[in-house]
Amino acid sequence: MIRLLGYRLVQAGLVALMVGVLTFVLVRALPGDMAFRIAAGRYGYDWVDAAAAAAVRAELGLDRPALAALGQWLWDLVRFDLGRSLVSGEPVIDEIRHQLGHSLQLAAAAVVLSLLLGPPLGVLAGLRPGGLLDRGLLSAALVARALPHFVIGILLVMVVAVQLRWLPAAGHGTVAHTVLPALTLAICLAAVSSRVARDAMAAVAASPYYAFGRTKGLGEGILFLRHGLRNVGVPVVAYQGVQFVYLIEGVVVVETLFAWPGIGHALVHAIVARDVPMIQGTALVMGLMFVLLNAGVDLLCHVIDPRRRAA
Amino acid sequence: MTTPATLTLRGLGARLRPGAGGGPVLSGRRLVGAGLLALLAVFAWGAPLISDADPARQDLLRTLVPPSLEAPLGTDHLGRSLLARLAAAVRLSLGLALMGVLTAAVPGVLLGILAGWRGGWVDRLLVVLSDAFLALPGLLLVLLMVAIAPGSFWALYVGIALVLWIEYFRLVRATTRTLVTSPQIEASRLLGFGPLYIVRRHLWPELAPMVLTLGAFGGATAIMAIAALGFVSVGLRPPTAELGLMMTELLPYHYEAPWALLQPIAVVFLLVLGLILLAGKDPR
Amino acid sequence: MTVLLDLTEVAVASADAIVHPTSLTLTAGRPLTILGETGSGKSLLAQAVMGTLPAGLRAEGGIRLLGQDVGSLSPRQRRARWGRQISLLPQEPWLALDPTMKAAAQVAETYRHVAGSPPAEAAANARRDLRQLGLEGAEERLPGQLSGGMAQRVAFAAARARGARVVIADEPTSALDDDRRDEVVALLKREVDDGGGLLTITHDVAVARALGGDVIVFRDGRVEESGPAARVLTAPANPYARRLLAAEPAAWPALPPRRTGGGGPVLRAEGLRKQRGGRVLFEDLSVTAEAGEVVGVCGPSGCGKSTLGDICLGLLAADGGTVWRDPAAARVRWQKLYQDPPAAFPPHVTLRQALTDVVRLHRRDWSEVETLMARLRLVPALLDRHPRSVSGGELQRLAILRVLLVDPVFLFADEPTSRLDLMTQKETMDLLVGLARDRGCAVLLVSHDRALVDKVCDRTVRLDH
Repeated sequence: MIRLLGYRLVQAGLVALMVGVLTFVLVRALPGDMAFRIAAGRYGYDWVDAAAAAAVRAELGLDRPALAALGQWLWDLVRFDLGRSLVSGEPVIDEIRHQLGHSLQLAAAAVVLSLLLGPPLGVLAGLRPGGLLDRGLLSAALVARALPHFVIGILLVMVVAVQLRWLPAAGHGTVAHTVLPALTLAICLAAVSSRVARDAMAAVAASPYYAFGRTKGLGEGILFLRHGLRNVGVPVVAYQGVQFVYLIEGVVVVETLFAWPGIGHALVHAIVARDVPMIQGTALVMGLMFVLLNAGVDLLCHVIDPRRRAA
Repeated sequence: MTTPATLTLRGLGARLRPGAGGGPVLSGRRLVGAGLLALLAVFAWGAPLISDADPARQDLLRTLVPPSLEAPLGTDHLGRSLLARLAAAVRLSLGLALMGVLTAAVPGVLLGILAGWRGGWVDRLLVVLSDAFLALPGLLLVLLMVAIAPGSFWALYVGIALVLWIEYFRLVRATTRTLVTSPQIEASRLLGFGPLYIVRRHLWPELAPMVLTLGAFGGATAIMAIAALGFVSVGLRPPTAELGLMMTELLPYHYEAPWALLQPIAVVFLLVLGLILLAGKDPR
Repeated sequence: MTVLLDLTEVAVASADAIVHPTSLTLTAGRPLTILGETGSGKSLLAQAVMGTLPAGLRAEGGIRLLGQDVGSLSPRQRRARWGRQISLLPQEPWLALDPTMKAAAQVAETYRHVAGSPPAEAAANARRDLRQLGLEGAEERLPGQLSGGMAQRVAFAAARARGARVVIADEPTSALDDDRRDEVVALLKREVDDGGGLLTITHDVAVARALGGDVIVFRDGRVEESGPAARVLTAPANPYARRLLAAEPAAWPALPPRRTGGGGPVLRAEGLRKQRGGRVLFEDLSVTAEAGEVVGVCGPSGCGKSTLGDICLGLLAADGGTVWRDPAAARVRWQKLYQDPPAAFPPHVTLRQALTDVVRLHRRDWSEVETLMARLRLVPALLDRHPRSVSGGELQRLAILRVLLVDPVFLFADEPTSRLDLMTQKETMDLLVGLARDRGCAVLLVSHDRALVDKVCDRTVRLDH
C-alpha cells in the first residue's frame, strides 16, 4: 500500500515535470517579447515601461541560458508559484481555486450518475450473457463509445434543450444547468463501466466458486450478495481509475460546449489567448487531479479487496 | 472476454477462416468494421472524382442550401460544398490517424519487445519513461503540444503519436515478459533456435492480433481527439475542412439547418464505429 | 442397509461424452467409487445425479434420492436439496473457494444461510469444524494463502456444514500430491463411518482402493465391471479393467536392464544449494547421471524438484555447488520434456511446420521424422494439426520425437505424464525408458508419484522439506 501511494507521489512529480517542461518550451517558442507581455499582464499596459519588462525578463530567466532558466522554471513550479494570468492579471492560483470547485462539482455529478447507470445494468446483462438486455446494452455501449463527448452533448442539447425545451442548453448556476453536462459525461463513462461490470459478472457467474456456492445450498440472492458483489466490484472500481482519463478529457470539451466556468474551459481559453501561466496552472492541476483520483481508487481497492490487504 | 460478445453478433457474419491456433481472424464484427471503413475511404477519395467542388470555395449567395443535384450534400453557412468538405475532412482524419498509429506502433512494439526480453536497466528506464507519459491524460498532452504550435498539423501528429505509443509498449512488454519464460520459448531455445526465430514463431503470432486491436482503438482515439480539439477551436484552423471544426461552424445553424450539422456528426460516428468494430474487442 | 441414492437406467449425452443407461445403488456406510479415464462420461453421471448438468442437457431414467424421485423434479426443486440432502465436493478446491473471503466465513455462511443458525452460533460452529479438520490458525486466511490440501478441507467443511446425508466427490484428489491425497481419502472415509453415503468419481486407482466399498469401472459411458473393491481391484474379470489395473505404476513389470559397459557419466552435480523466497529448497545435494540411465527425482509439490532439473540443464543457476556436464556433447543435446505438452510447442503453427523448423536448423533429413513417427506409433495425419488440437499423450510422444531429432545425451523429463491417463502414462514411460536404453541418453525423471519413480528409475533422489 505504502508502495502504491509512493508510486502515485512519483507520478505526481512526473506530471509536474511534464507540464513544466512543455510549458517552458511553449514560452521559448512564443513570438514577440514575452517579458513585455507578461509585464503588461501583471501591471496593465498603461504602466508598462522598459524597466518593468526588464525586471520580468530577469525574473523569468528569459535573458539566461536555457538550462538555467528551465531549472528556475521548475523550481517555481515545485513551490506552487504559478505566477499571474496574462489576461486578467490575477494570481493563477486564485483563478484556479474558483474554477476547480465548479469542475469538481460537475465531475462528481457525472461519476455518481454514471455509477447509477453503468454497473447495475452491466451486472444484470452479465447474469444472462447473450440475452436480450446484454445484446441491447452492447449495441448502446458501442454507439456511445463511437461518439465523442461533445457530440453526445450536442445531440442532448438539440433534443432535450432545443426540441423539448426541458432544460437550459448552457450556462451555470442551478441544478437544471448541471443535468445536461453531467449526463453527457455520465453516458460516456457508463458506456465503458457497464461493459466492465458485465464481463466481470459473467466471469463470476461462470466461476467454480459461484457454482460451489450454489451446491452448498445458498439461494441466488444471498449468493450474489456474498460472492458476487465484491468480486464484481473489484474490477469495476479498479477500472474507474482508467476511466478518469475520459473524465478529465471530457471535462475539457464538455465544459467548453456548455460554457461551464470550470478548469477545462479555462485551459481552452488560456490556450486560445496564449496565457502561459494559466495554461501551466490548469494543466498542472488537472494532471494532479488525475493522479489524486487514481490514488483514491487505489485506496478504495485496498478497502474492498482483502487480497490486497493481505499481500 | 471476447467470446460472449462475439457470440452476440454471431448473425452478422460467420468465421472467415480459422486462424493460427484455431481462432477466427476476421470475426463478423471485424468484417463489418473493415467494410465500413472501406466505404468511408471510397467516399473520401472518390468524391473529388464525381464532383469538382473545392472545399474552400465560398458562395455567399448560396448558403445553407439543402441537398440537391447540384450540391449533393448541400452547402454550409459560407456556401461551400459539404460533399467536398466532408470528403476532405475524412481524408485528413483518416490520414492523420493512420500516420499517428503507425508512428506510435513501430517504436512501441520494438521497445516493448526489447524491454520485456532484456529486462534489467533497459526495462526500468523505458518503464519510467512510459509512466511519465501515462501520468498525464492523453488529451492534455496533445493540448499542450498544440499550444506550443497552434493550428499546426505536425504538432497534432506528434502529440497523438506520443500518447499512443505507450499502450503498445506496455502491452507488448507485458506479453513478451510472460512469453520469454514460457515453456514454448524455453523449448525452442534448448533446441537451438535463435532470437529471430523466437520472434517470428512465438512472439509475433501472439502480438499481431493485439497490435491490430490497439491500432484500431488508437485510430479511434486519434480521430476523436482531432475532432475534439477542432471543436473547442484549439486544433486545426479554419478554413481547413475538419470534422470538429465543421461542427463548431455549423452549430449556430442547428435550428434552421439540422441536416447540415448532422453530417459531420454522422461521419465521425461512422469512422469511430468502424474502427471500434475493427478492433474486434469490447470498447473500453 | 438404508438405500440413500438409487439410479435406474440413467442416460445423458453431450457433445464430447455420453452416458449409456446406467444403474447403481448407494447405501449408507458403504462407499461407492466410479473409476474411469478422461472422457469416460463419469463426471457427466455425477452432474446428472446432482442436477448440475449444463444448460441444454437432460438426464433420462430414474434418480431416487433418500427414497424420493428427484429425476423428474424442476431445477428449482432439486436446488432446494443441495447442501441439505446432497453435497458436492468440488474438483479444484482452490478455485471453488471465493478468493476474496476468509476461510471461516465461507464455512460459517453455510450454517448461517443454509442451516439458518444465528450469526454468532454459525461463526462458532465454523471455527469448531475447521479446528476438527486440523485447520486451527487458518480461519482468517484467504484461499490464496492456503495450500491445496487445506483448501480441500475448507471446501469440505463448507459443503458438509448442513449435514447432507449423501456426498458426491468429483475427482477430489486431482490437484493434490500423494500425501495430501491420503489425507482427503481419510476425510471421506470418516464421512462413511458416520453412516453417510459417499459417491466418489476418480481416475486414480489408489483412491478407489483406499476407499474400499464398491467400485464401478466406467469406460465410454458404460459400466465395464462392478463389485466390491476388494475383488474388482485385485482380480478383475473384464479385459478393460485388467488393462487399467495393469497400467498402474505399482503393477508395472520391472525395467529392462541397462546395457553394461556403454555409459560413462554425462552429468555430475555436487553440493548443490538453492534458495527460493527465503526458504532453502535443498542443500548439499548431489546428482550423477550416466548414459542410458534413468534417474528419478521425487518429493511433494513445491520441494524444488523441477528447480533441480533446471539447474542440471543449466536453465537456472544454483546458489552453491558445481555442475559438470560432459563437454564432449554439444549444448543442443541437453533437452527437456514438459508437464503440459501443448505448452511446449509453438502454438500458432502446425506440428509439421514446427518439426520442419527443427529438421532444417540441424540439417537432418525428414525421413528420420517418418521413421520415428512409425516407431512412436504416431499417424502422419497428426502433423497437419495445431498443438492444442492433439491429445496429450500423442503430443508428448511428438515432443519425444522432436527431442530425438537432436540426438540427446541428457533429457530432463519434468512430470511428463502427470496430465495423462493411466494407460497413456504407461505407454509414454515405456518409450522414455526405451529411449534411454537404446540411445544411451541419460534421463532425469521428476515425478510426484513415488510408485512410478520406484518402478522406472535406476536411481532415485528424494527431496523433502
